[in-house]
Amino acid sequence: MVDGGGASSPGNFAAALREGFADGLDGRAVTVLQAVATPEMVLADPDQNLQAARRVPEGNLAGGGVAGDRSALGAFLREVDGRGAAAGALVMGAGHDKGVDWLRLFLSPILENGAEFVCPTYRRARLEGLVGTAILYPLTRALYGQRLRQPAGGETAVSLELARHLLADPDWQRDPQHAGSDAWLVAKVLAQGRRVSQAWLGHWPGDPSGSGDASHALARLVGPVFLEMERHVDRWQRVEGSVRVPTVGEPGAIEDSAHVDVGKLVARFQLGLRELDAIWGLVLPPITLLALRRAAAASPEAIRIDDALWARVVYDFAVAHAMRVVERGQLLRSMTPLYLGWVAGFANEVRKLDGPASEARVEVLCAAFESEKRYLISRWRWPDSFNP
Amino acid sequence: MWQETRTIFLESVADVLRAAARVLPSVFAMLLFFVITVVAAFFVRWFVGRLCQRLGLDRRLREWGVTAPSAPGRLSPSRLVALLAFWAVLVAGTLFALTIVNAPVLAAGAAQIEGYLPRALVALVILGIGLAGAKYVERSVLIGAVNVGFQSAGMAALAARWLILVFVAAVALEQAGVGSTVVMLAFGILFGGIVLALAIAIGLGTKDLVARSLGRRFEQEPPQEGEHPTAVSGEDGMQHF
Repeated sequence: MVDGGGASSPGNFAAALREGFADGLDGRAVTVLQAVATPEMVLADPDQNLQAARRVPEGNLAGGGVAGDRSALGAFLREVDGRGAAAGALVMGAGHDKGVDWLRLFLSPILENGAEFVCPTYRRARLEGLVGTAILYPLTRALYGQRLRQPAGGETAVSLELARHLLADPDWQRDPQHAGSDAWLVAKVLAQGRRVSQAWLGHWPGDPSGSGDASHALARLVGPVFLEMERHVDRWQRVEGSVRVPTVGEPGAIEDSAHVDVGKLVARFQLGLRELDAIWGLVLPPITLLALRRAAAASPEAIRIDDALWARVVYDFAVAHAMRVVERGQLLRSMTPLYLGWVAGFANEVRKLDGPASEARVEVLCAAFESEKRYLISRWRWPDSFNP
Repeated sequence: MWQETRTIFLESVADVLRAAARVLPSVFAMLLFFVITVVAAFFVRWFVGRLCQRLGLDRRLREWGVTAPSAPGRLSPSRLVALLAFWAVLVAGTLFALTIVNAPVLAAGAAQIEGYLPRALVALVILGIGLAGAKYVERSVLIGAVNVGFQSAGMAALAARWLILVFVAAVALEQAGVGSTVVMLAFGILFGGIVLALAIAIGLGTKDLVARSLGRRFEQEPPQEGEHPTAVSGEDGMQHF
């Protein structure tokens, strides 16, 4: 598990886990280890003094200097491999839903159904995890043809076979800066056609502080997905449509009012259109810019970015990211006003809908991403044909 | 009479030949040095061009918005830098070659230009880096300002760019030795004026934003264990992660 910065200490959380599974999990022994992000990631028994903990050898982590849960993946896979565990789960150190038997749900697809990778899915309010709803879910689904609702959950469960396979991946040496991220893991698993499953684990255990910065969220979450698109281009260009993923747990969303200050979001969108015109002109075709200007001219209550238009915008930014049209950090941050414009339209639409209807609305968006995939392939192959 | 004329003529010819014999090795040495300089200049052009390619100079400058996307027939930054290096080596080598001839006027002029050339080159490099940096910073400020909802984002970006340009121009001129006192004085006045104007403008424009931000920071409490953390969200009331 990883220290997720929650209210309770990881040590207490580990003790609670160990106590809960003292008799094992369905007759299997359970080992709880704690990953602590020091200059090098270490995995240790929570009861031991961390100073004396076994250090994970260099080269098995994502660059050794990458902070947070990303670099924990290498150490985690190593531990699963070293112990010959049938399954391993890398989880946050606190904040899990006490009303759900989440760990059993998380591991059961591997232990009982032969899955190799389990993607966590959480019950969240309709206006939470919006980067996932707007970009990550539709894009990942359109690219790899698997309907993983929350492909950047921050937690993961893998089988022994997959752990060994991932550990042997040359990316750990070739590109240690990026190996080990959520996007890296999900893209590897989906592109290689592994047996994938997803589990609804109750409410989200992550740390919400700082999750309100849209610009930061886009750079952190979308950048790695765009990067993985370049690596698996041979795979995703051959995928058409999408299929359901075997799912365990009770799906659902937290009921909320879905109320946001749409006027403020629209103002940001319009400001972006006015000031970032020169940058977007390098990324988006003129017809897309025109369509965005038309959308921005609507009143805040009526604003809406068409699904197909939004899909094309995301695809255009992915192509620009691959072609390095604009410095990548700047490119991703410049996407923020567009994203906020989409969020404004989405908030307007789902305000009147209940949870299932909102989810159905997201499915319509995903269908647009899938139908616009031809546009992506065309732009990816001939990027200059659209350049001004 | 004829004999005297013949003697004087022969002595003059002998003098010319002796003088030529004294100068000729220097001329040959100069020519040889010039040939070596030309070869070295071509090598430097090739080496600098390759180095720029390895560093991805064209790509980086295009990404930062310093240069427009490449078009056929347009001189790329890598080629421009390589050409500059080529001419720098050629001019420096030619000037040095001229000093070999021992012609006092030529030597004095060459030495003066040689002394100035490195400073001019360094000034040029500073100017180039400054121009690239200014464009990059302008874009970063523009995007950052738009993302925080600053209505005069374009003005702020432009101001940031000109601050850097003024600073870099002053440093480059100082390095080149052009009117150092006047330039530094003018720079100090201009830079100070721009900073003061920006500080006043931003201070007045963002006082409400700062007040709100500080208010949130001090009023916010961490979520309790087990509590669903919807209470904490961004400025726009949402969680984007």
